[in-house]
Amino acid sequence: MMESGALLALSELTVLRGGVPVLDRFSLRLDAGESAILLGESGSGGEALLSVLGGFADKADTVTGALRVRGSETRLPARRAKTPIRIAYLPNPLSQPFAPHASVLAQLTRVIARKQGSPLGSAHEELRLALERFPGSVTPQLLDAKPGRLDPVTIAIGLLASVSAQTPDLVLADHAVADLGPSAIRMLLEMLAAERKRLGFALIYATGGLQPPARLGGRVIVMRAGRVVEEGDALRLMSGHAHAYTRTLFKALPRLSLTETRSRSSARGQPLLQVHGLSYDPKAHPRDGITFELRRGAALALVGEEGSGRRALLRAVLAFDRAPAGRVVFDAVDLNILSQTMASRIRRRVAFVTGTDESLDPRMTLWGTVEEPLRAHLNLSGELVAGYREAALKRVGLASHEGKRLVGGLTAFDKRRLQVARAIVGAPLLVVIDEPLRGLDAFAQTIVREVLTDFRATQGPAFLVITADFTVAQALAEDAMVFHEGKLIERGPIVEILKEPREEATKALIQAVSLPDLSQDAAPG
Amino acid sequence: MTSAPEAPAPLLRAILRGVGWCGLGLIMVTVFLSDFLARAPAGWTDATVMLSPPSPAHPFGTDLLGRDMLSETLHGLAQTGGHALLGALVAILCGGLFGAVAARLPRPLAFSLRGTLGVLATVPALLLAILLIGLTARFYAPLVAGLAAAPLAFVRAFDRVEVDSTHSEYARATGIPTMTLLRRDLSYEFHEMLGSVAARALAAVTIIVSTASFLGFGAEPPARDLGLMIAAGKATYLAAWWTAVFPAAALVILILFARLAAGLGEGERP
Repeated sequence: MMESGALLALSELTVLRGGVPVLDRFSLRLDAGESAILLGESGSGGEALLSVLGGFADKADTVTGALRVRGSETRLPARRAKTPIRIAYLPNPLSQPFAPHASVLAQLTRVIARKQGSPLGSAHEELRLALERFPGSVTPQLLDAKPGRLDPVTIAIGLLASVSAQTPDLVLADHAVADLGPSAIRMLLEMLAAERKRLGFALIYATGGLQPPARLGGRVIVMRAGRVVEEGDALRLMSGHAHAYTRTLFKALPRLSLTETRSRSSARGQPLLQVHGLSYDPKAHPRDGITFELRRGAALALVGEEGSGRRALLRAVLAFDRAPAGRVVFDAVDLNILSQTMASRIRRRVAFVTGTDESLDPRMTLWGTVEEPLRAHLNLSGELVAGYREAALKRVGLASHEGKRLVGGLTAFDKRRLQVARAIVGAPLLVVIDEPLRGLDAFAQTIVREVLTDFRATQGPAFLVITADFTVAQALAEDAMVFHEGKLIERGPIVEILKEPREEATKALIQAVSLPDLSQDAAPG
Repeated sequence: MTSAPEAPAPLLRAILRGVGWCGLGLIMVTVFLSDFLARAPAGWTDATVMLSPPSPAHPFGTDLLGRDMLSETLHGLAQTGGHALLGALVAILCGGLFGAVAARLPRPLAFSLRGTLGVLATVPALLLAILLIGLTARFYAPLVAGLAAAPLAFVRAFDRVEVDSTHSEYARATGIPTMTLLRRDLSYEFHEMLGSVAARALAAVTIIVSTASFLGFGAEPPARDLGLMIAAGKATYLAAWWTAVFPAAALVILILFARLAAGLGEGERP
């Protein structure tokens, strides 16, 4: 018998997809105003649960079990079923939740009007009032644009305002803030927590990161392969007294460390990249130019929010964009005085690993992608090429994959490792790593971090890491330059910056990834 | 307000393309066996059976000169199909392949070529073919038909190459030469669509070759060409419909199968 006083009571819910259980005998009781964080890697079952509760389960899925909403039985699967409670869905803005050709404002207004059964004008007003409550400058006028023209954080605020305007009893958040940048994640989670406190709605939040449980609190349900591993409050699970899988999961999630964990190599070796007075902003005064040096085998992180000037600096450093002033010497050669052909030869020693996987041609095969740098730059026999290819794929764990698979059909995790394999065969002197862990779950992040660390340890390329996340910066580099609003505001060893940040923007970046509740556990030793 | 017709479902499209290729295969077999299947050699006349309607002795009837229309249609199909194949090869080489290569040339040269051939592509290919035949000779009609279809194929191939794609930019940033990027396009994209490009070119060139012959700019008697046969049937088709209908049907079937094999939608320009 299930309890009748609960807002939501699920019993033995099973979702079969192609005969395989993606959610296996899941039971949950949720009272009004309560929150449940479903924590797990991708495919752990959280998304399947939200799709069933949200009424958009795939038609091919087989759903069994019992669902009681405010004591009344609801038939499963509950596709577009009328439930006695108001359920709002909060998707990730990067999952393209909007139709591309209509304005975000119009689409959000329609959702609110449908959910509340109110006229569009009234829904529009509700949305405006919700936006006014939020900090920042997101207005209905700003949202009156096609989704492609808005940045993901603005869309996320719009989605959150839409959820708030629906005055829901239950909110289903599906990785709602994943991959948005640490500061944005922190701000959005604080906004969600404030709205929850104000409206008193219950929350089911599927996530693969530590930030939601740490900032929203409540009950955490650790899931793996569709099953519940264990559940409890966030503090207990984050302590050492948890199931082995939970401990492994938490260990996999990156945290800041205030002690030096690796030997500093940046002071050793010959200079690889020397930047003198480089100005990447045409309006900037020449004396504001940036000067820094990256030695062979060293690693430097360019840390800052989106639009802070990191990528502009990188483009100027690699001579993609002509810098108004300054000089860049790469491997003892001034890139700005070289012809395109000669610069192209120098660039052979540069490799890229990006979080968007846009450096990979989706039409190419897995083998073709790894072999291309070898075939393009070196006159090697097919046997040698195959040998290097296999060695690189083995190092990143892709050797068992079918070599003729198209890149476009690979998962984000496979694509990320494929980029590293392509970099490995090219034997680069410099690897530019741009948000390398974006879109990956905890375990995949750990593997990619380890693969990159192993790559640097064995082949010794210098790393130039672009990220907004100090945990990523610390995992892959020893030194950092912090950017804010197009300017370099702070530089030095990462540990020193973490201990004594001088600028407010740096402090905000550190706070965005600091989890106070975990600090004792996170501190090494 | 009208909306664009919905594209057929992928499975239906694949089935239609399969039907198109099977049809083209059957036509090719027929062309190879035309001398064997035909009841009489090309141009063979029998004055005793002039304008005879379809019968067991002459399934497609006979024409004004007493030629067996079945044999003549088969010979015509062989000649038109052969010429169309030759023209399609020219269109693919001078149009599609050149377009894919030209997109990777230095920007000013690439866009000059794109502009020039883009202008030529706006001229109806048949007019261009007639102009070129006038400047050369009828003998070159199949080659000229291929050249007339080439500008459109060039523009399509050129525009298909993603010169400014992000992955190309990253590849250039790591020193991958332009030739390697071109090889990517050829091996991963053009290779994939070669069948479609060939069938598209075949449909376009068949229309040009046969229409030029119909208008008197292409093949000359005694050569057998479907367009020429339809033109010859103009004088008698009111009294003897079979003299024009069977060559026309053969031509329609050839073009229809080529269009299906190319996966072309309704009203889409070949």
